[in-house]
Amino acid sequence: MFQVIAFISTLLLSSSVLASSLVITVVTEQSEDRQSEEKSFAGITVKQNRPVMRAVELALQEATTLFETLGIEAQLQELVLNSDKDLKDQLSRVSKPGPIILDLPLATMEQVARIADDLRIVAFNVRHSESSLRESLCLEHVFHTIPSDRMYFDALVQFLNFRGWRDVLLIHGASERDKARTQSLLASLKKFAANVVDQREFTLSHHPDDRDDNKPEFLTGGASYDVVAVIDSKKDYGRYLQYSTRRARPVVGDVGLTPASWHFALERYGAPQLNERYRDFKFGENQTMGPQVAMTDAEFAAWSAVKLISNSINSRQGGAEFNLKALLADPASQVDLYKGTRGSIRHWNHQLRQPVLLTTTDAVIAVAPMPKFLHPKHYVDTLGLDEPESQCQLHLK
Amino acid sequence: MSRIAEKRLLHEKAKPDGMNQSNGKPRSIFAIAEGVNLLVRIGFLFLASASLFFTNARAATAVISNERSGDLIFMDESGDTLDVLALCNRPRGMVRKKSAGILYIACSDDNAVIEFDLDTKSTARVFTDIKGAMSLALDETGNRLIISNEGAAKATVLNTVSGEVVATLPTGPEPDGVAVTRNGSLIFVASENAGIVHVFDGKTYNPIHRIITHLRPRRMALRNDELWVSSEMGSRVEIFDVATFEKKDEIIFAPRGFRSEQLTPVDILFDLSGDVAFVALGSANNVVIVDAVKREVIKYILVGHRPWGLGLTPDGKRLFVLNGRSDDVTIIDLSTRRPIRTSRTGLVPHAVEIIE
Repeated sequence: MFQVIAFISTLLLSSSVLASSLVITVVTEQSEDRQSEEKSFAGITVKQNRPVMRAVELALQEATTLFETLGIEAQLQELVLNSDKDLKDQLSRVSKPGPIILDLPLATMEQVARIADDLRIVAFNVRHSESSLRESLCLEHVFHTIPSDRMYFDALVQFLNFRGWRDVLLIHGASERDKARTQSLLASLKKFAANVVDQREFTLSHHPDDRDDNKPEFLTGGASYDVVAVIDSKKDYGRYLQYSTRRARPVVGDVGLTPASWHFALERYGAPQLNERYRDFKFGENQTMGPQVAMTDAEFAAWSAVKLISNSINSRQGGAEFNLKALLADPASQVDLYKGTRGSIRHWNHQLRQPVLLTTTDAVIAVAPMPKFLHPKHYVDTLGLDEPESQCQLHLK
Repeated sequence: MSRIAEKRLLHEKAKPDGMNQSNGKPRSIFAIAEGVNLLVRIGFLFLASASLFFTNARAATAVISNERSGDLIFMDESGDTLDVLALCNRPRGMVRKKSAGILYIACSDDNAVIEFDLDTKSTARVFTDIKGAMSLALDETGNRLIISNEGAAKATVLNTVSGEVVATLPTGPEPDGVAVTRNGSLIFVASENAGIVHVFDGKTYNPIHRIITHLRPRRMALRNDELWVSSEMGSRVEIFDVATFEKKDEIIFAPRGFRSEQLTPVDILFDLSGDVAFVALGSANNVVIVDAVKREVIKYILVGHRPWGLGLTPDGKRLFVLNGRSDDVTIIDLSTRRPIRTSRTGLVPHAVEIIE
């Protein structure tokens, strides 16, 4: 269904021109070893990290009937970036106004997003949840459809508050990523008035001197708490924390009860149908998928990006011609996310607002926002950086 | 019957204990209050039975399909459970063939539709191989059943006499609501995922038109020359002209205390005159009464959690609202437009048909 771009596109539509065609380009990087990014200290791959193409194709397939009806021509391409060559040259092959879906590691994604904005190409960040990106990549043409860390953690802390688990012992790793995410979690804990009993860091090491300090029983001892929150992006240490804490308390965060944007066991809101479609979808050599496989959060974000476009065309009810940038920036743009509440774009930082699931390995325990967390303007805006708090104010530009 | 009855019994048993615990007041005052309460209740009971006697009201029976518990509940007009019948896996849409005393019931997870005999309260026939049967509509003759096939992106037209599939109508993904015009000339099928209502010729079964709707069109109802479509994620009801398929109007809801995105309308039902519509608002926990002529909201009524299914008593005096997440039914008196009772149903009640 898709083709790899191997030619220089001569289509030079400016983004203000109305179009009735949609060329979606998934941008990936050559020789990227996906799994190595997620490999743990022990050499085990804990997190699934599939390319997002399958999800993009699925969303396009879902939109077939609509596009057919309206006479919109949709194309899907893959652009494989060569890191030895100039990125801007390679990106200028993409026909404007896009969209491009950035299935790239963080550093490359940031570069490409900036270039895309320069070239007036609509770009979607579907893989990186760093809260800081929502401030630093404050660009007119860049949209984030994966939730921010703040959204994930606000959801988690709302749940803790809802259950009355106020005293939190925070355990985190030493990597830059873990430290940044710990700051995000601390901000969420503060926002919903949780009490951080203590903050402790684990070290990954085989050195005998570290062994006692890192024993879960010791690291979680000498404190009174309702719940242990663990920040361990690679799940190196956290995996062993459950059932080993000094006190018999639940573990939440990167293990145990985990915030996620999608899950195979979501039973309501039409989610089983979407999960079934994803598993049965004929894609390349992987014909179908096993019963407990669902879209990863990155895949769901990529699916959401395409869905956001097709749904916004739907709800706008203005026929086949649309201006992609205006369509997405419109406060009335919206997407049916199969999570009970429709999603839409936050006009201040282009983050897709959406409910966040609180999940275990086998079940969805709750869907945040939790009851009684109310927002004056939008039901799900208690999750993540709200308009007055955000440094990014795109709508004022 | 038994499971529901047991649950209620447990509930009633638990009550006195709780009262004893919390009762720190002098016993005598409590007893007097109880006595007065009892007298008032007896008085009401007397009045109620008297009015029943004088109006000589015939009792209607509500039949409720319960998705999760896989059963049918029979309930009288006042909300008392009469009977519970285990039925099939995931019974959902229902439609009644009045002339024959038959109820067609979609059994989604069995990929079947059941012909249920209301007189004998038993399954008369089973139509199999109907993938993900969800919503049902019957044409005027009662011999053609239109069934949406949820997982299969199609709808099936079944001849209920011969049991044969007459036609298969291709749709976008996740078809839900189905409707057929009175003369049987047009068939409508809503595709939730595509945001489209597919229109088919009722005789040739050829696709005629695709109506672009707002997000996630769910259920439809016909009123004169109008097709009313609920848009679950668009939080509105859209009204289309049946002749031209052009959009005529839309009604956007705003009950107090809910944000727009929490309004997820599903079932639409008209009263006997056709001039008043009822819409179940899903996550907004309200049912709304709408003036169908003026397109104005008359009243929002707070009900249970996630109301979807709606049913009207044959005399048009009571509205049954199925609350899918609180597993109960709210019964609304339409003369006062107030809820009069909430009764327990099975798990995840889906549809209700009310018979004389």
